[in-house]
Amino acid sequence: MEFLTNLLPHLVNGISLGLLFALIALGFMLIVGVMETINLAHGSLFALGMYVALFVIAPKLGAFPELAAWYGSLPLGTRYFIALLLAPVFVGIFGMLLELCMRRTYGKDPLYGLLLTFGAALVIEELIRVVWGSNEKQLPLPEAISGAFMLGDLLYARYRLYASGFAIVMIALLWLFLEKTPYGAMIKAGAHDSEMVRALGINLPRLRLFVFALGVGLAAIAGVVMAPIWGIRPQVGVDAVVPAFLIIVLGGVGSLWGAVIAGLMVGMVVGLSGAYASEWSLMSMYLLFIAVVTFRARGLFGRKSVLDA
Amino acid sequence: MSAIDNEGNESPINSSRRRVLKVSALALATAGTYGAAPFFGPWKHNHAWSQAAQKKPLVLGLTMDASGQYAASGMDERLGAMMAIKEINAKGGVLGRPIEAIHMDSETTPATGSRVAERLITRNEAAFLIGALHSGVANAISQVAQKYGCIFLNTNSSSPTEAGKDCHRVKFVWDGNGTNFALAIVKNAMAVNGKNWVLLTNDYVWGHNTSKATRTIVEANGGKIIEELMVPQNTRDFSSYLLKIQQIKPNVVAAAIGGDDIKALRQQVVQVKLNKSPAWINNQQDWPDVYGLGPDAIFGVFGTNWYYRLDLPGVKEFVAAYQTTYPGVQIRVPGNTYYNGYMATRELLRAVERAGTTNNIRVIKELEALKVSARDRMQDFDAYMNPTTHQLQQTIYMATYNDAPAEKDDIFKILSKVPPKDVEDPEAPVACKLESYEATPTYEM
Repeated sequence: MEFLTNLLPHLVNGISLGLLFALIALGFMLIVGVMETINLAHGSLFALGMYVALFVIAPKLGAFPELAAWYGSLPLGTRYFIALLLAPVFVGIFGMLLELCMRRTYGKDPLYGLLLTFGAALVIEELIRVVWGSNEKQLPLPEAISGAFMLGDLLYARYRLYASGFAIVMIALLWLFLEKTPYGAMIKAGAHDSEMVRALGINLPRLRLFVFALGVGLAAIAGVVMAPIWGIRPQVGVDAVVPAFLIIVLGGVGSLWGAVIAGLMVGMVVGLSGAYASEWSLMSMYLLFIAVVTFRARGLFGRKSVLDA
Repeated sequence: MSAIDNEGNESPINSSRRRVLKVSALALATAGTYGAAPFFGPWKHNHAWSQAAQKKPLVLGLTMDASGQYAASGMDERLGAMMAIKEINAKGGVLGRPIEAIHMDSETTPATGSRVAERLITRNEAAFLIGALHSGVANAISQVAQKYGCIFLNTNSSSPTEAGKDCHRVKFVWDGNGTNFALAIVKNAMAVNGKNWVLLTNDYVWGHNTSKATRTIVEANGGKIIEELMVPQNTRDFSSYLLKIQQIKPNVVAAAIGGDDIKALRQQVVQVKLNKSPAWINNQQDWPDVYGLGPDAIFGVFGTNWYYRLDLPGVKEFVAAYQTTYPGVQIRVPGNTYYNGYMATRELLRAVERAGTTNNIRVIKELEALKVSARDRMQDFDAYMNPTTHQLQQTIYMATYNDAPAEKDDIFKILSKVPPKDVEDPEAPVACKLESYEATPTYEM
């Protein structure tokens, strides 16, 4: 009984972690699923989202003292909300530029796309260093979502509860968008049979541009949400892109629910191993990955390929 | 660069270039067969001697991390080394030769460290190697350096093994190590906070050996290690560890976590308000890992070997020189990693000057006999190189957050200063087996 009592907080923590992992992987999943492009710049765009949020929440407006005073007088919660809106917009525009550069790689060896996004990742990271410097930054948090609360007889960060709830909302919104709107139908159709979509008169390049912007916008939102947990530093993107890649392969490329369930599984094994076999806590996600992919190469919810027949 | 023109004809320029290349290759191969074998290694006198004769610059290979877990500290110690080089060059260099530095990123990865060291020695003809944060990287670099006899300064990596079982004749360790800091902190912390301890250990050589030193001292003084939690490198989420710590309910958590990992840990500890209780001991707190984190995140007691507001001669001038030379850097005042990079480089170049030669064995002997006054080191006690372990024995400070800062950057409050003899690692001379001088390849640049 005591074991179960002790286990419970770690299960809750695992679910929370899993939701955050899923949030990180959502944008990556969308781009891979629809465009069949592995966006290695996902992590750097995630980091860029953090920095944009930092700029929006605590801007350096020394040259405009009156504007700085007015903006500084806004409640932190308001500035945080603005950051949640502006970060994905800014990063989304950045993503559109990247997608325009990527067009020359479509239909060619996938290695070109990989190299281009890898190069973009390096450029974005260096850009961040040039603009914001290399040092660690902290995102100020509104009082309402900072501090701790009691989880049983243990303290747990209130922000994690908020971040997990936010991840659930984002997953639900994305699901609604993909399943219940005509745009979602176009995206899914584009992923399934792009030639037919083009034949139906849908502007495929524009659709791809939109999907890419949406995917990197989601990366930026994940960055804003994860900033208070992981901290803000230029190289933080690496910490995001590796689990994101692992989760979408584990869940099955292009599957929303696959990514969510894989994220939860990864969160659970990382959380539980952190508590009971701490030296395995990072390795555990890779072991899970090997275990699943060994028996089901297309991932948990991946479509069966012609080669599987 | 194509050798073929638009019509598919070979250009005469390119064919003549090819001929030159062929002839050069043949000449080199012939020379290699007859008498000029040292060009093909192993790395020996002749190659380097020609450099000295022409008064070429003396090349220092900087092996600091610029990416990975210790990127921020790597940058900091590089600035320190560059400052020392700048000062020496302003005085005419060493032995009348200017100093040049070549930096290569060791990426906080041992395999990269080896590759970088090999390249700097064999291709860039670095006379000496300087820089290390991660003890695994430091160990990897030093193995390559020992193979060539190239003197390597481990500026900031602090595993006790660096001056213990992984010591080398060519390697000199300039920072205090995990045992030094544990000896300075642990007994006092047990008396104040209690005897039930949890170890939070970064899962690599520095973490293991630092926690081992802490465990030894805790148990020798009647304390108990209730649990040791291993933290893999690059861990960004500490929630499960923090839940576990609450379930265990220790008096003290002794963390041996470094680089970006400790930054994430500190922020997450504050989020769950565990910064007040239990008591936290961080074996050593590098300045770049805590700078800018904010007052709440600088909790617990930790060790350092230097602070920019020590009330000692030369400190203010040292800080002013940093600020003048590096006006744009985000860390506005120098910290321990910068200081160690500076001091190590300065003492090496002084040793070369004293030796009157770049002969590695002569310089090694100079460094082994090194004594630096407290005034010259800007510390409270004189420092000396232990010739049997090659670790600089120096003042260790215990610090905590400064709740009455004199200025924005004044975030440490120095609690006590411990002389080097009180924190000397008794195990190190037993574990360290330096290679003999004869077994160390010799060179002169």
